[in-house]
Amino acid sequence: MVLADLGRKINSALIDLSKAPVVDEKVLDALLKDICAALLASDVNVMLVQRLRNNVKKSVNINEMGGGVNKKKIIQKAVMDELFELVDPGVEPYKPVKGRPNVFMMVGLQGAGKTTTCTKLAAHYQRKGWKVALVCADTFRAGAFDQLKQNATKAKIPYYGSYTENDPVSIALEGVDKFKADRFEIIIVDTSGRHKQETELFEEMKQISAAVQPDSTIFVMDGTIGQAAESQAKAFKEAADFGSIIMTKMDGHAKGGGAISAVAASQSPVVFIGTGEHMYDLDRFEPQSFVRKMLGMGDMRDLVEK
Amino acid sequence: MFSFFKNITGQRELTTDALDPVLSDMKEHLIKKNVASDIAEHLCQSVRTSLLGKKIGNWGRVSTMVRDSMEAALKRILTPKTSLDILRDVEQAKAERRPYVISFIGVNGVGKSTNLSKVCFWLLQNNYKVLIAACDTFRSGAVEQLRVHARNLRALQTSGQGSVELFERGYGKDSAGIAKEAISFATSNHFDVVLIDTAGRMQDNEPLMRALAKLVAVNNPDKIIFVGEALVGNEAVDQLTKFNQSLKDFSGLQNPRHIDGIILTKFDTIDDKVGAALSMTYITGQPIYFVGTGQTYTDLKNLRVSHVVNRRRLC
Ligand SMILES: Nc1nc2c(ncn2[C@@H]2O[C@H](COP(=O)(O)OP(=O)(O)OP(=O)(O)O)[C@@H](O)[C@H]2O)c(=O)[nH]1
Ligand SMILES: Nc1nc2c(ncn2[C@@H]2O[C@H](COP(=O)(O)OP(=O)(O)OP(=O)(O)O)[C@@H](O)[C@H]2O)c(=O)[nH]1
Ligand SMILES: [Mg+2]
Ligand SMILES: [Mg+2]
Repeated sequence: MVLADLGRKINSALIDLSKAPVVDEKVLDALLKDICAALLASDVNVMLVQRLRNNVKKSVNINEMGGGVNKKKIIQKAVMDELFELVDPGVEPYKPVKGRPNVFMMVGLQGAGKTTTCTKLAAHYQRKGWKVALVCADTFRAGAFDQLKQNATKAKIPYYGSYTENDPVSIALEGVDKFKADRFEIIIVDTSGRHKQETELFEEMKQISAAVQPDSTIFVMDGTIGQAAESQAKAFKEAADFGSIIMTKMDGHAKGGGAISAVAASQSPVVFIGTGEHMYDLDRFEPQSFVRKMLGMGDMRDLVEK
Repeated sequence: MFSFFKNITGQRELTTDALDPVLSDMKEHLIKKNVASDIAEHLCQSVRTSLLGKKIGNWGRVSTMVRDSMEAALKRILTPKTSLDILRDVEQAKAERRPYVISFIGVNGVGKSTNLSKVCFWLLQNNYKVLIAACDTFRSGAVEQLRVHARNLRALQTSGQGSVELFERGYGKDSAGIAKEAISFATSNHFDVVLIDTAGRMQDNEPLMRALAKLVAVNNPDKIIFVGEALVGNEAVDQLTKFNQSLKDFSGLQNPRHIDGIILTKFDTIDDKVGAALSMTYITGQPIYFVGTGQTYTDLKNLRVSHVVNRRRLC
């Protein structure tokens, strides 16, 4: 995954730091400049990058440091802490419970990858032995039901939807009720793409949510998104109160900084990343190990120890 | 002393010290508006080069000079250098007794099929006979999606000469071949325009990029339109560069094709963060033919450069 590319840049900035004979304000500024440039080139929100810069400067406070302290170590730790802060809101995602229905609802911008991810997620749980079903509550997009149907059929997952009913709220409710009655354990509801500027569609999303009472709402976000990520994520958080994020299309060159900004904006964790168009192209995401890997922690430890 | 003399002449020279802080703010502003960071950097460097050593009146403000210079540069990049008159080109092809062929290409989920349908609506309003070629034979529901659009568009077509048909061959087949069949079907049945829908693909996926280059090489469409979404950040640069590169490297042709123009979609989702318009035109040097501003057939507009380059947006 190319998030590693960002890690490499940050890491090499930190290695430069370890080579500097004297660590003064100038060196710190140069380091922060490199790191911030790398973050901006990865689509991390401008304000977040500014905040990271200020926080590191504040917590390091280089001018008041005594001569004896290991400045490099302190700076490295401050940078790491800020990066952790960025990707890890410290919130536990919803854990489905065996033997009872767990309703998931997928929401997000148009074309983000919701429908594709629904089946990926369903297949993921099915492989682990859960009884899983899909509900298509997208009555808007042309071919939406066919898309879900074809995917579900390929994955051998029961599905519910309609070509004639055009009220997504009633379809969602019917589908969820039916699968609940049939004792399904994981019921995933797909919804239409929408954005914050469309008040009516946001209202519709709230109604679907009120009707099916999801145990977990998941915000599906395209990993290539730029600076619009933050405000859209905030708006979805407010309207749908999602509990976690799935970042899609991470099989390309994208660095996912926009989606990372969505984490910070919504204080919700990324739980999975999509890495392709096929059913199994879904990987778990662990923020802590992600940052560690991103920074090539092996190298880091060498650096710090010396 | 020196600056004192300069003062009486009423002129100062623009120095690095005066320019850099202003340019650094400018760069950050552009990035905030979703211009790719490399491009923001390049633009600021070229403004810097053009202004260094220039004289500025005593009361002139550096920030104003920088903004004026940036504004001019942005307008230059965004203003189309070629004609955007597709209808005239269609007429030309008609005179040559052949269909005019447009292919829509791009990464996954950006709005290729939807905006192809909007373009079709526009062509129908202009009384053309349109064939939609369903050449996304991979993504689930892709063919049915176009079937619904064709049906909707036919239902909307209550007056005028326009008509639309869908050419489909199902899933799993070679898209270049289907496009070829569609074009010959269009030729023998006197269609005016063929719109080729293609599957979304990641720019790094070599097998899929090869297949796209083949589709283009085999069918030599009149226009290759890259569909990109206004939401995309720094990836815009990599997408366009690699799509162009693949069309070139994998074509096997002496004179390979490149992207001829852009449709910028989802413009309704980004408020004032219009930077992708700039990133895309900067990288390709090609114009934005249309801007997608919503999910209905009429949500297809022309880009107004003055709308993008103004104080509340880019500059
Ligand atoms: N390469 C890649 N493509 C993906 C991934 N996830 C989804 N896609 C593709 O992205 C495109 C859009 O996916 P959809 O699942 O239709 O998106 P959606 O959010 O349901 O779209 P709407 O319902 O129209 O809002 C399709 O071409 C998918 O195959 C991914 O992780 N990697
Ligand atoms: N808000 C908004 N949504 C759009 C616009 N253009 C397309 N969409 C939506 O974006 C989603 C994806 O559109 P598609 O046309 O299926 O995208 P695509 O590029 O053909 O997708 P693939 O074939 O899967 O790669 C759909 O929900 C469309 O309704 C636009 O200009 N504004
Ligand atoms: Mg969908
Ligand atoms: Mg499509």
